[in-house]
Amino acid sequence: MKSAWGWFLLAPPLVLALVFFVVPLVYLFWVSLHASSTSELYGAALTLRNYSDVLADSFYLTIVRRTLGVAAVILGLCLLIGYPVAYFVALLPVRRRMLAILLLLFPLMVSNVVRAYGWVSLLERRGVVNSTLRDLHLIDAPLDLLYTPSAVVIALMTILLPYMVISIANTLAALDRRYQEAAQALGASPLRTFLHVTLPLSTPGIASGTLLVFLLTLSAYVTITLLGGPRSKLLVSLIYDSVTAFQWPRAAALAFVLLALALAFTGLILALLRPGRVQGAGR
Amino acid sequence: MSAPGPSPQLASRTRGERAEQHPADVQLVGVRKRFGGVVAVNDVSVEIPRGTIFSLLGPSGCGKTTTLRLVAGFEQPDAGEVYIRGARVTSMPPYRRDFSMVFQSYALFPHLTVAQNVAFGLRMRRVARGDRARGVDEALELVKLRALADRYPRQLSGGQQQRVALARAIVVKPAVLLLDEPLGALDKLLREEMQVELRSLQQRLGITAVFVTHDQEEALTLSDRVAVMRNGVIEQIGAPREIYDRPRNAFVASFLGASNFIDGVVVAREAASIVVETPGTRISVPGDKAAGERVRIAVRPERLRMARTDAHGLPATIRDIVYRGPVTHFYLDSASGPLLAYQQNARAGDWTIGDEVRCAWDADSAVVLDGARE
Amino acid sequence: MKAALSAGSMLRGTATTIAFALIVVPILIVVVAAFSPNDYFQFPPPGFSLRWFVEFFGLQTMRDAFVLSIELALASATIATILGTLAALFLARRHGAIAALLQSLFLAPLVFPTLILGVALLLLYKTIGMPVFPGLLLAHCIVGMPYGFRTVLASAQALDPALEEAGQSLGADPLRTLFLVTLPLIWPGVLSGWLFAFIVSFGELNTALFLTGPGVTTLPIEIFSYLQFTGSQLVIAAASSVQIALIVILVAVIERVVGIARITRAR
Ligand SMILES: Nc1ncnc2c1ncn2[C@@H]1O[C@H](COP(=O)(O)OP(=O)(O)O)[C@@H](O)[C@H]1O
Ligand SMILES: [Mg+2]
Repeated sequence: MKSAWGWFLLAPPLVLALVFFVVPLVYLFWVSLHASSTSELYGAALTLRNYSDVLADSFYLTIVRRTLGVAAVILGLCLLIGYPVAYFVALLPVRRRMLAILLLLFPLMVSNVVRAYGWVSLLERRGVVNSTLRDLHLIDAPLDLLYTPSAVVIALMTILLPYMVISIANTLAALDRRYQEAAQALGASPLRTFLHVTLPLSTPGIASGTLLVFLLTLSAYVTITLLGGPRSKLLVSLIYDSVTAFQWPRAAALAFVLLALALAFTGLILALLRPGRVQGAGR
Repeated sequence: MSAPGPSPQLASRTRGERAEQHPADVQLVGVRKRFGGVVAVNDVSVEIPRGTIFSLLGPSGCGKTTTLRLVAGFEQPDAGEVYIRGARVTSMPPYRRDFSMVFQSYALFPHLTVAQNVAFGLRMRRVARGDRARGVDEALELVKLRALADRYPRQLSGGQQQRVALARAIVVKPAVLLLDEPLGALDKLLREEMQVELRSLQQRLGITAVFVTHDQEEALTLSDRVAVMRNGVIEQIGAPREIYDRPRNAFVASFLGASNFIDGVVVAREAASIVVETPGTRISVPGDKAAGERVRIAVRPERLRMARTDAHGLPATIRDIVYRGPVTHFYLDSASGPLLAYQQNARAGDWTIGDEVRCAWDADSAVVLDGARE
Repeated sequence: MKAALSAGSMLRGTATTIAFALIVVPILIVVVAAFSPNDYFQFPPPGFSLRWFVEFFGLQTMRDAFVLSIELALASATIATILGTLAALFLARRHGAIAALLQSLFLAPLVFPTLILGVALLLLYKTIGMPVFPGLLLAHCIVGMPYGFRTVLASAQALDPALEEAGQSLGADPLRTLFLVTLPLIWPGVLSGWLFAFIVSFGELNTALFLTGPGVTTLPIEIFSYLQFTGSQLVIAAASSVQIALIVILVAVIERVVGIARITRAR
């Protein structure tokens, strides 16, 4: 009786998640292990060529390196800007803190294509930045700001920054003030209190913000394409290009290379920050 | 602790004849339940006759709630059977069993008014609208809350919420009413008031009830029968007076209130009693033990009488005197260890600390416990 | 020490101002640009006009994409929330390894690179011959389900378990307990889950990128294609503003119905 009810609840979402999430990924992996074919989606022969090609080809490696580089810069900036902002937000009185977080959340609800377009209209040759600089007579000819790796970095960084701020701010706001007070009562200066108490206790927020920003950077195809243009391609662009070229096994292998990067990074962050060790320090 | 025992009128209701007149409304047979490594309920068998209140009494974590939830069907026993009104319900889901329940948190539906809360069970039983309204009215009348029928639970005080929970449970006229520490959240005064009210309501309606509590006074006040539990096992079942006056072991004796324990060796057997040699004196107690056996005797502090040194009894010295309003507590030292005596202040003698006394009691005030040592 | 303190708070204040500007300005620019009277956006704007909105609704493809996006968001948010609610009710009181695994499975699309899911689904759909709209709908359900699941899980776990037992003790079977006790009490969680799923579906890019087809395109994808193939024109600003306006309305609805606190906690 009880288990019949349990299945009634579990079966529909489980079936959806299995059939349209797990199965397609397993299938994609299966396809990544096959040779390509001109007539079929994928060839009959099992092979690891798709992976070895990626790892051997300097073109792909350059792109992988560029992807990681861009992600690292974005992540660094997000942490550098995000932590003080989160600290500021966390110290606000409840009502204003909620307002600030709402202000950070709202942009996340707007489609990324709209936010990327906002940056395009700022950075393009006839965009706001160039026309303002020209009006101020600081430049004569418009600068080529768009279609550069820097454009990708600044746009993606600001698009993803709210995730970092909200993650850290929520952890900080939930921190029991008494930890800091205890440290100060023991004679720690504000700086040392921050370094030895606040910062370690906020690692869960740092970890989840870092993971969100990194994972979302990896698959931000639309932003990368609109701001990076054809010359600043990253790993996702290659996946998209392979799909549009009907190179399914190649696309699949690249997808799993990306997934492997994501997993490796997740493992690294969890091992480095060990957010679990201070979990539950909140109120 | 100052006024132990139920009123004579309540305690005199005997259980035997009633049990024979009516079948048991609830019956547990060898019920066992474990959670992982914890045996929450271990081989419990009880029968609860119609129209009686049965209390499960014991310290926190002893398995009272689990026992109640086994009756309700919220838990499935690992072994044993559960019967309600003679029907085997062991594998029946809760919503098909004939019971209702008052929860410790009251669990009033916050989105429904008082009247809608009380009507809920009648709705589930597809009672016609008119009868439903009448039933709700009557039930609210019984708990004196008709005026608040349209309020929401959050607009009520704790005591009022408790009454709504009770009305909601009795309106469906269940075969058995289960109550899990229903008065635990109330303050002392209100709790005592509700105990009396609950008892009179139960008797007027002839409800069969299982009452879980960790408060010994509450159990003694309310119940026809009490089961004292420890570690999932029922240590003793009996009428309140029986449990209080004739505890079977040291756990039951001390859980129901303060008790003096005196260890000794049986030196002689008489018709219905034994003579025990203790460090201070020889004591005669009702019981049947072999000579030479080590035994432990329990005597309630209010049974202990203190007399001058020229009287017979256990020699002791007064270590401390604590005035407690209606009674005074005397802390004594004796060769058998520390003793405690209560004296009604109305007839308390003028003792001072350091006085030598003799302690005595009526022979039938002492009990020989099972398992000489804990 | 005092000086260090105020330097620290000045740093935080400056960083916050810059950060909010960087986050909000690109969105504001789009809205301002949408009301331009000129062919090109000038700052500060020389006037005010609705011509780009007129043009937006005059373009068949844009209009169709807008309508499809709304239909898709309504349908997928509803399905995703129902399924997420079922999953949350199943897991609310269950513990242990299997429950933890199921929970990760239902939350996975939140952090999983959805672009890869899009590729994988396209491949599957090609193999089994799935029509475009249902395929897109299912993808959006997968992406939206974690939101309904998460908000309902939080609500259901905050619910006193005795309430459901009280329902059963009064004779309500599980289905009736669900409809008469549980759902009315977790309703705010269900509703905010639905609104989040709607918003996510309405702005979704990474799976729609692969799964839209000729004549079946969502607004974000239409904006993206237009930007790629026709270029940055102000009709896009109008389209984007329509997107933003709808979200403003939804956020206001959330605030009215379930309160601001629930939104700020949900992410
Ligand atoms: N659902 C459960 N899961 C695991 N252990 C439980 C559960 N319910 C009760 N227990 C354990 O069973 C024992 C008895 O619990 P309970 O019946 O609630 O005691 P009481 O009501 O007498 O305080 C306790 O050790 C408790 O921790
Ligand atoms: Mg209990």
